[in-house]
Amino acid sequence: MNPLPIVWASLSRNRFTALLFVGLIALAVALGVAISAQERALRLGSARAADRFDLIVAAPGSQTDVLLSVVYLDPTAVELLSPEMTASVLAGERADFAAPIGFGDSQGGDPVVGTTAGFVDHLSGGLAEGRAFTVINEAVVGALSPHAVGEELSISHGNADGAGGNADDAAEAHEHDHHAHKGEGGHGEEAGHGHEANGHVQEAHSHEGEESHDHEGEGAHEEPDGRDRGEAGHHHQAVTVVGRMKPTGTPWDRAIVVPIEYSWSVHGLGTGHADGDIRIGPPFDAEKLPGVPAIVVKPENLAAAYGLRDRYRTIASTAFFPAEVLVDLYAVMGNVARIMAALTLAAQVLVVAAILAGILALLDLQRQRFAVLRALGAPRGFVFATVWLYVAGLIAAGALIGLPLGWAFAGAVTRLVSSETGMAMQATLGLTELALVGALLGLGLLLALIPAAMIYRQPVAEALRG
Amino acid sequence: MLGLAGEASSLRFDVRTGRREIQTIVDIPHLRLEGELLALAGPSGSGKSTLLYLLSGLLVPSAGSVAWAGANLAAMGESARDRWRRQNAGFVFQNFHLIEELSPLDNVLTPGWFSSVSVKGLHDRAGALLDRFGVPRYRKRVSLLSRGERQRVAIARALLFDPKVVFADEPTASLDGGSGARVVAALRDLAEVERKTVVVATHDPALLAVASRVIALDHGGIVAPKAVEPAE
Repeated sequence: MNPLPIVWASLSRNRFTALLFVGLIALAVALGVAISAQERALRLGSARAADRFDLIVAAPGSQTDVLLSVVYLDPTAVELLSPEMTASVLAGERADFAAPIGFGDSQGGDPVVGTTAGFVDHLSGGLAEGRAFTVINEAVVGALSPHAVGEELSISHGNADGAGGNADDAAEAHEHDHHAHKGEGGHGEEAGHGHEANGHVQEAHSHEGEESHDHEGEGAHEEPDGRDRGEAGHHHQAVTVVGRMKPTGTPWDRAIVVPIEYSWSVHGLGTGHADGDIRIGPPFDAEKLPGVPAIVVKPENLAAAYGLRDRYRTIASTAFFPAEVLVDLYAVMGNVARIMAALTLAAQVLVVAAILAGILALLDLQRQRFAVLRALGAPRGFVFATVWLYVAGLIAAGALIGLPLGWAFAGAVTRLVSSETGMAMQATLGLTELALVGALLGLGLLLALIPAAMIYRQPVAEALRG
Repeated sequence: MLGLAGEASSLRFDVRTGRREIQTIVDIPHLRLEGELLALAGPSGSGKSTLLYLLSGLLVPSAGSVAWAGANLAAMGESARDRWRRQNAGFVFQNFHLIEELSPLDNVLTPGWFSSVSVKGLHDRAGALLDRFGVPRYRKRVSLLSRGERQRVAIARALLFDPKVVFADEPTASLDGGSGARVVAALRDLAEVERKTVVVATHDPALLAVASRVIALDHGGIVAPKAVEPAE
């Protein structure tokens, strides 16, 4: 038997209603697929971004904040590791390397991060263009940075052009800074505040290293009320771009990476090396080291990784693997995603149920047609198959259109988020999405049995007269 | 192919109209059917359509039997009756009941889909039937045809498998005179030329006039069986 010509005829009888039903089912499915695929893209993207950050050591406090600041370059208020702790971690025992990370400055909206050339090489796996920085006023840019090799950049101190709360933090810190300036010439005592950075590398420090500190906005700087928040912070000695990193799939792709010595020096903290030593990079002079917000350590092996993590979990410091923090974040995110998924599934089932009711009404109008088929000798199975295929066809078409549609939705959102954060993400269709669509499809095919059975059971003679 | 001989005995069809009330719609002691144009006549509600459905196995009698060449429809299960109709009978309705979205050719081919995936082998036959009844084969949809043409498509559909029996329920009631006459002629030819058994429920005088036998029904019973000589 071949019910397809009749199915097709029945579908084209109510063509627009059928298209509307398919469209509604497709949208409901797309929504579920998009949420699921998007959530995974975010999870995988953020996990991959953290891959190269083996072990992070920071001052005690929120590990999540540190993670967001170090890996995703989303500066939050973090404490600084004490100079002693910094020296101890940077000594790099049982580690392939230990790289200080200083964040909080910016250039035209892009983050400026201070670290070592070695870490840049580790993160990027070799440079795409140019070379690593070798002197204090050289920089390497991320793969997506608009700046070209050879360009000279003036760096703003602070993150004043950053969004929202950070700008406030910055302004506040500046205010504090300015008061310190006004108060007295020497800042010896004030330096104690250095351990409190509002999303910056070391605010409110003595400006002893003034000669390397090129304050162009000095006038605004003297305003004690801190109304200079609209300014792009202080401007420092320009840096020259000498290299470009390969894509890392992290927000570092938008960053301008400078020697950590530059970060320290513009904040008046010296260079971490003996006076007169213009060398950059490790080893640092333990005596001259200031604090840093975070240090990324690459342990030499698995045992060392756990050993170091335990060793740096002290009163003065915390140490963690990014995965640990991400797992916690994902647990929260996963709960939200599960609730969303349940809600969308419920919405989908409602859509399918509503459409099924509509289909029943449509089919009722075609009762006579099926009775005629029976009168012409069609077996009941033929009528059953016709109705089932009719309903199942609508649901299957909706589900199959919804799958790529949802993928496209997720892809669009992912591209948007990627371009906002610089975090490489890709929305893919995984087993979860296929299972989601499969479940709905299976449910639809089962539900399609209801109208099929109803039409199948109807007495022919009555429907013929109908 | 010759018509099929049939016989209905002690045929009764009851409908429960209330808790204790049962209304008898059809009560026929005996009715013989054979290669002829048999007309079931009577006013609305006389039970002629119900009798037609009983004779074609679309309804199961409350009592009695409907036997076609020895096969008792009343004793068969639903799928056996479906099969009997598919193999032996064609059906024509007052309102054509074509599939509006399909072409005339596909409408004629519809019964072919009940039992096989491909109806390629039936195309010639279906086309010849349409030609015979003067209906264009390749209109996109039958809804583009005139009413008379549509009823002739329905007759062609009934004849796809060259059935021995053709049932027609008020086949001319919704047609104008001219179209009705062509349908009447077609049904008469089926009985007289092809010697099929044609059973029609009708109150159309034109159709009654060509019937070889008219069974007048009223209130479910036979009023006055009237034999009419075939107009030769």
